[in-house]
Amino acid sequence: MSISQTNRTRTSIRALQVIIIGLTLVVLGRVFYLQIVDHEVYAALGQENSVRQEYVDAARGLIYDRKGRLIVDNEPIYSITITPSLFDRDKLPLLADILNVSDSLLTARVQEAQRYSWYRTSRLITEIDFARFSAIQENLWQLPGIGHQIESKRHYPTNFNGSHLFGYLREASESQYRNSNTLKLGDKVGKSGLEMTYEDTLRGDDGVKYLRVNALGQALSNLEDSTLIQHPVQGSDIYTTIDTDLQILAEELMDGKKGALVAMDPKTGGILALVSSPDYDLKRLAGRLDMDYWQSINADTLTPLYNRAISGRQPPGSTIKPIMGLIGLHLGFIDTTTVVYNSGAYMRGRPYRDTAPIGEYNLEEAIANSSNTYFFSLMDQIATNGYLNQWSNMLNDLGLGVSNPIDLPYASNGIVPDSTYMNNIFGENGWGVGDLMSMGIGQGLLSISPLQVAQMTSVIANGGYRVDPHIIKATRMPNGEIKDIAPELNRIDWITEENLSVVRAGMRKVVSEGPSRYYTNNSEVPTAGKTGTAQNPHGRDHGWFTSFAPFEDPQIVVSVLIENGGYGSISAAPVAAVLIEKYIEGEISRNYVYNYVLNFVSRPTDSELLENE
Amino acid sequence: MNNVREFSWSVFFTWMILAAIGLVAIYSATQGPVSQFLEPYIQNNFFKQVVWVIISLFVLISIQFISPRAFIQLSYFAYGVGIILMILTLMFGTEINGAKSWLRLGPANLQPSELMKIATILATANYLTSRRDISAENVRYALTAVALILIPTILVLMQNDLGTALIFLSLIPVMLFWSGLPYGVSLFIISPAIIAYLTVIDWYYGLIAAVLLTALIFFIQKRVWLTVTAFISGFLTVSGVQVAMNQLLQPHQIARIAAFTNPNYDPTGAGWNVIQAKTAIGSGGLTGKGFLEGTQTQLKFLPEQWTDFIFCVIGEEFGFIGSTIVIVMFIFLFVRLLNMAGNHKHPFAQLVTVSITSVFFIHFFINVGSASALLPVIGLPLPFISYGGSAFLTNTIMLAICLNMDFHKREFSIYR
Repeated sequence: MSISQTNRTRTSIRALQVIIIGLTLVVLGRVFYLQIVDHEVYAALGQENSVRQEYVDAARGLIYDRKGRLIVDNEPIYSITITPSLFDRDKLPLLADILNVSDSLLTARVQEAQRYSWYRTSRLITEIDFARFSAIQENLWQLPGIGHQIESKRHYPTNFNGSHLFGYLREASESQYRNSNTLKLGDKVGKSGLEMTYEDTLRGDDGVKYLRVNALGQALSNLEDSTLIQHPVQGSDIYTTIDTDLQILAEELMDGKKGALVAMDPKTGGILALVSSPDYDLKRLAGRLDMDYWQSINADTLTPLYNRAISGRQPPGSTIKPIMGLIGLHLGFIDTTTVVYNSGAYMRGRPYRDTAPIGEYNLEEAIANSSNTYFFSLMDQIATNGYLNQWSNMLNDLGLGVSNPIDLPYASNGIVPDSTYMNNIFGENGWGVGDLMSMGIGQGLLSISPLQVAQMTSVIANGGYRVDPHIIKATRMPNGEIKDIAPELNRIDWITEENLSVVRAGMRKVVSEGPSRYYTNNSEVPTAGKTGTAQNPHGRDHGWFTSFAPFEDPQIVVSVLIENGGYGSISAAPVAAVLIEKYIEGEISRNYVYNYVLNFVSRPTDSELLENE
Repeated sequence: MNNVREFSWSVFFTWMILAAIGLVAIYSATQGPVSQFLEPYIQNNFFKQVVWVIISLFVLISIQFISPRAFIQLSYFAYGVGIILMILTLMFGTEINGAKSWLRLGPANLQPSELMKIATILATANYLTSRRDISAENVRYALTAVALILIPTILVLMQNDLGTALIFLSLIPVMLFWSGLPYGVSLFIISPAIIAYLTVIDWYYGLIAAVLLTALIFFIQKRVWLTVTAFISGFLTVSGVQVAMNQLLQPHQIARIAAFTNPNYDPTGAGWNVIQAKTAIGSGGLTGKGFLEGTQTQLKFLPEQWTDFIFCVIGEEFGFIGSTIVIVMFIFLFVRLLNMAGNHKHPFAQLVTVSITSVFFIHFFINVGSASALLPVIGLPLPFISYGGSAFLTNTIMLAICLNMDFHKREFSIYR
């Protein structure tokens, strides 16, 4: 072997060793980079890989009635979830086949989930039947990125709808879940009623659990890492003032009518029953949205989604007269002995008609016979003497024309005009006494909700205390802690017991001697009330009746509005009478009234009875 | 008989340690909690490997008693038998994972292409060193040597085993270079591989490499025809790879290449292996997750984790420390083997030892490079560690031949 060859050998050996060591060090460097420099990235990836995050549905708070009866709870439903980053689009037809939904619907849902988050798990299809749920479970291995979970939907175990009390839940809108830390795609939130007002209370915090999964997506075990697991926190329960039996009856009585009913405990302001008719079927809006039904109730001209009891605004008609009396007495324009002669009409520039029998009326009789002349005269004095704003403030004191802390959304304030309001409507000094007169008998610009009618009646019934109408009396947190909610009653200082007794006596006579006595005068339950008719330029008048009972120690106030019902004495009063009998007596013995109410039909276009009472 | 102290015990123990590490890793990959997701025949791989290691140990020791002359004398015969076995495999072989490389022999599946590596190295080395006037500088002799290597390469390709074919091909530059092929020409031969690799990443890396390599070849060997040819072949490689990637390759092959350059391109498909392998290694961190504790391994996120991705098992469960130990063992092995080659006076022993070392190295580099996403995934086992009886036995025999020739090197010199 030549010298040059030996040299070449030696150099080549060295060169080869250098190349091999060099390349091996490149590999070592690569491994160093992966394991040390980028360790955190891959540790997280590894974690994500083998661990599947699952939400544990937190039960929404339950709702109880005043006696602790469960009126809203939850029932389990089965949902299919998707993690878009792991989902194989080629499996879409298979998934659609198992779920028995169309490819296009599923594609749209998948895209929605992708827009929400590529990596987070969200609901794909909710409320599938158990057979499909099982089929998905069996096929999970060939559906990467697809998961399943058990959730709950609202369940209404009672016989009443309560749609305007509880309200419905719907999936949170895109802006809602985007702006929330806790809401996820597909989470449902209250969109009306108590569910909406108490969304934060009722809503629980979903838990998160982690499952160890293999490469096929099969769950192997729970991951016992306490730093990651979040246990679900159940929502708080709420206790309402609702009386289930009364609510059931109220809905039955209002069925087929257009109108509203509010039953209230005058001593607390707690709502016993609240109906807005027509209403809708909450059960059909729980769980997966029934699109056809949803569209039909939205398109319905009778507006079943609209809560007439708190959002509606109607002239209170003659139901305002007892309050007018109290105001007149306090302002000194009348006293209990003041007598006004009814000649068939009150003259003030033009005749204001009065259908009460011709004769002399003091306050008690004027209320009992609903004489308009007496109150036109009173309003005339209030307006002429510039007491409009005092009048308006005093009505505000009772909760009319102002916002009330009712725990339902979209409550109307009502309109109680003062000089500012009149200026806005008619222009500065563009209005006169003539524009105010009709408000004295609850017509004209004055308009309030059925809830507010019940509120003002409560003031008369409870001896002059302003009530805050409310439905919730307590909440119970998941740890069992109970928080009572009892709004304080505030004495309205200008109302005296002496003045009240006159007004009450008049209201007692309405029930026992007035045109509604056939229905309302129950010898067992002495009741006081006031009928009213709201003039309706679009059709038949709306009938009002507001009442309290028992007369000596009022337990309940019932205010009823029957739209297009004509006289309140024949439309609204019988409804209130049946409800009062049920509440005070515990059962209905006067079946003729009950049957009369059930068969009563309001005729919206019949305008032959355009008369006041 | 030589003094046993002249036996290279350090290389022998390196072999034992690597084999032991391999058994631990294979145990984890097939007998750990992951076994519940594996077919029974795969679970048995660990026990089969134990048997193969024991057999190989006996073979390794037995080979030490053979005179090195036997390798020279038997080389052409072994080559002939190997070719016949490979043709038989093509006709009657068993197909596993798409490659028809296995011949059923009683209880064991033999992979003749593995043993053919030995025969090819011995025969080619014998040919190139048999006469003083034979040198790779002479085109005729060089082409004969190339033919000796290309015949088994083509047979392996017909068996659809791309990885092993690459090993055979890599013998061409190594063996020719060692037999006197000029540096410049040697560089010219390997330059297409480098250019192709870079072109896959980005075509213009390939172009820059082609220009630089041409310049280097010209600098080493100032021959105009070589430089021009190198430039043309470099340019053709770049455009050839581009055309192949864009037009000739099947979609799944393109996906595999795309997944290498960007694993997120198709994370559930072709990129899956790359992502899972990187995740396994990276999540191991410094100390690893512990024996049988690797989530990627035990939850079967890794494909072929007992062979092609076995390095991921080690990386995940034993961390950077474990990976480093393995890599350092290999560095030691390569350096020691090359030192042995340098000490040989006999060109046959030199050429055989260098060739065997390069075969080990290429296996190592491609296997770990694939597992750590440095290279596209090319299925090659990690020597002495991956599961595979034929491969383990072949590698052991190759190492035993190196040890034998080192052990008997004085006898060799006398013979010369």
